Amino acid sequence: MSENVPLEKIDDFRWRIPKSYKPGMRVPGLIYADEKLLKDIYQDKALEQVANVAFLPGIVNYSLAMPDIHWGYGFPIGGVAATDIAAGGVVSPGGVGFDINCGVRMVKTNLMFDDIKDKIKDLVYALFSRIPTGVGSKGDIRVSEKEEKEILVKGSKWAVSKGYGVAEDLEYTEDNGAIEGTDPDAVSERAYERGRAQSGTLGSGNHFLEVQVIDQLFDSRLCDEFGLTLGQVALMIHSGSRGLGYQICEDYLKNMVACLQKYNISVPDRQLACAPVNSPEGQTYLSAMRCAANYAWANRQCLMHLARLVFEEVFATSWQKLGMQLIYDVAHNIAKIETYIIDGKEKKLCVHRKGATRSLPPGHPALPSKYKNTGQPVIIPGDMGRNSYLLVGAEKAQETFYSTCHGAGRVKSRTLSTRTTNLNALLKELESKGIIVKASGRETIVEEAPQAYKDVNDVVSIVHNAAIAKRVCRMRPVGVIKG
Amino acid sequence: MPEKNFEILEHTADLGIRVKGRDIKELFINAALALFQIAAEKLPAVSEEKHEIIVNQTGSDMEELLVNWLNELLSLSSAEGLIFEKIQVHNISDKSIEALVTGSDIRNYKVNCEIKAATYHGLKVEKDRFGLTAEVILDV
Repeated sequence: MSENVPLEKIDDFRWRIPKSYKPGMRVPGLIYADEKLLKDIYQDKALEQVANVAFLPGIVNYSLAMPDIHWGYGFPIGGVAATDIAAGGVVSPGGVGFDINCGVRMVKTNLMFDDIKDKIKDLVYALFSRIPTGVGSKGDIRVSEKEEKEILVKGSKWAVSKGYGVAEDLEYTEDNGAIEGTDPDAVSERAYERGRAQSGTLGSGNHFLEVQVIDQLFDSRLCDEFGLTLGQVALMIHSGSRGLGYQICEDYLKNMVACLQKYNISVPDRQLACAPVNSPEGQTYLSAMRCAANYAWANRQCLMHLARLVFEEVFATSWQKLGMQLIYDVAHNIAKIETYIIDGKEKKLCVHRKGATRSLPPGHPALPSKYKNTGQPVIIPGDMGRNSYLLVGAEKAQETFYSTCHGAGRVKSRTLSTRTTNLNALLKELESKGIIVKASGRETIVEEAPQAYKDVNDVVSIVHNAAIAKRVCRMRPVGVIKG
Repeated sequence: MPEKNFEILEHTADLGIRVKGRDIKELFINAALALFQIAAEKLPAVSEEKHEIIVNQTGSDMEELLVNWLNELLSLSSAEGLIFEKIQVHNISDKSIEALVTGSDIRNYKVNCEIKAATYHGLKVEKDRFGLTAEVILDV
């Protein structure tokens, strides 16, 4: 459906949509893919959306798309756009999405596959019964209105102060699990109401908690630095800001549709509604968005805490003894103010990552000291039947405003996946591969079937070969819980 | 719940709906009911209690009004733990709607999917022989 969009080959992994494609594009589009992935990418309207994002006032260099790009609403999923704040650059709530700071964290253990192979079912069932999943699920972690405000400011720090984790966890979370510049008064009553009962809940759709086993090492030096080896058991958690984030996006999107006229901004899709970063509307959105981002970090921190407790129960020893250290937590739906050198000048940019992960290279000042030599851990979840990856950021990612892919990327719609997938056959197939799945609804499993996704191995090989991230190791799932 | 008054449109990551109505009032009612028919299936009732809420929304045109209306219902449904089953529109124009919505406890339903929001992307409301047809993409 994007066959009319012209693509110029730059090299084997980079393709340009020329600025001349649509009058109004301020910069060209740049897509990271190879010919194989492009076949999938052409199937939907994602390339058109890359061109549409290029209309945003102040956009710098390119409207970027990662190899897991697919059709979203407004921005493509897998899209990155940076705007120059001093040049009237805008912030667009659609460039972050409804699930603000949807993200993923990876926890290592010192268990080996042999230690858990007879307990996977128990582990999965225990995780499923302990971790609230599903639509509108409510958690055991109940907070008062005052405490909820505290979460929006302190993020993961709030969770750690309540005993849901340790100080070290904060060091290994993007922005230490609490981005600054929040304003809890910019968050509507309704958003508070929707968020209150959902702290420490996984949610539904593509969110998951997986028990994984490392099945391939790509860089032994980096694996040694992370303390990871073949056969080692790890945990991955994918969740976001739940109803609170959706409500903040909705409240501000509505507001920004009116800004289009006020600031005389022309975009081809109302879902790209935006306002200058340096406007009251832009500033208030960013401060509310940061509240949701902190809520999401606190949420993943609580989920990890619950998972640690389950491991303690199943293995009858403390999580510390099980070596359950957080490797890293990354956001993949967020807008951040970051500084870059553009044409020789230092500029403050508003970097939108809509289904894209930050990918800081070794030596970057924002890295914790432990990762100064390795680069930032980049966690890439795949589908429930294939693999997930640990990568690290790379210097070349400067061209993507230090961003890389965020997952496998859908290729089949949920309805098509549901029509073409037989639940029992799928569960059998997964079980034959040694994967135990437990979900709140059968619909989620068939919607999220592996064949609905691109092969994450193909996606990761592009970002590795284009050198915007570097492969460390690969995991395969053995236990999956979903909403 | 009445018969389905909508069709599903394919979208890679999300879900589109096409809804028809003989007039704007029917269009808005059908679109609202479509959301909850997609999201939830009725189970034997655990609570017979019905909750009535007055909803007021505005928009700069009919398309924006439709998105605002659907989002307000999704938001209310999540905040109040209700699934809306009946909609009575009291007043409607291209730019505003006032309606009485009746919902029942979410525990009376099996919820199959979480609709995060209705989006403006690809949003269309068109007049045709039938009356009005709208297409909306939902973030799920």
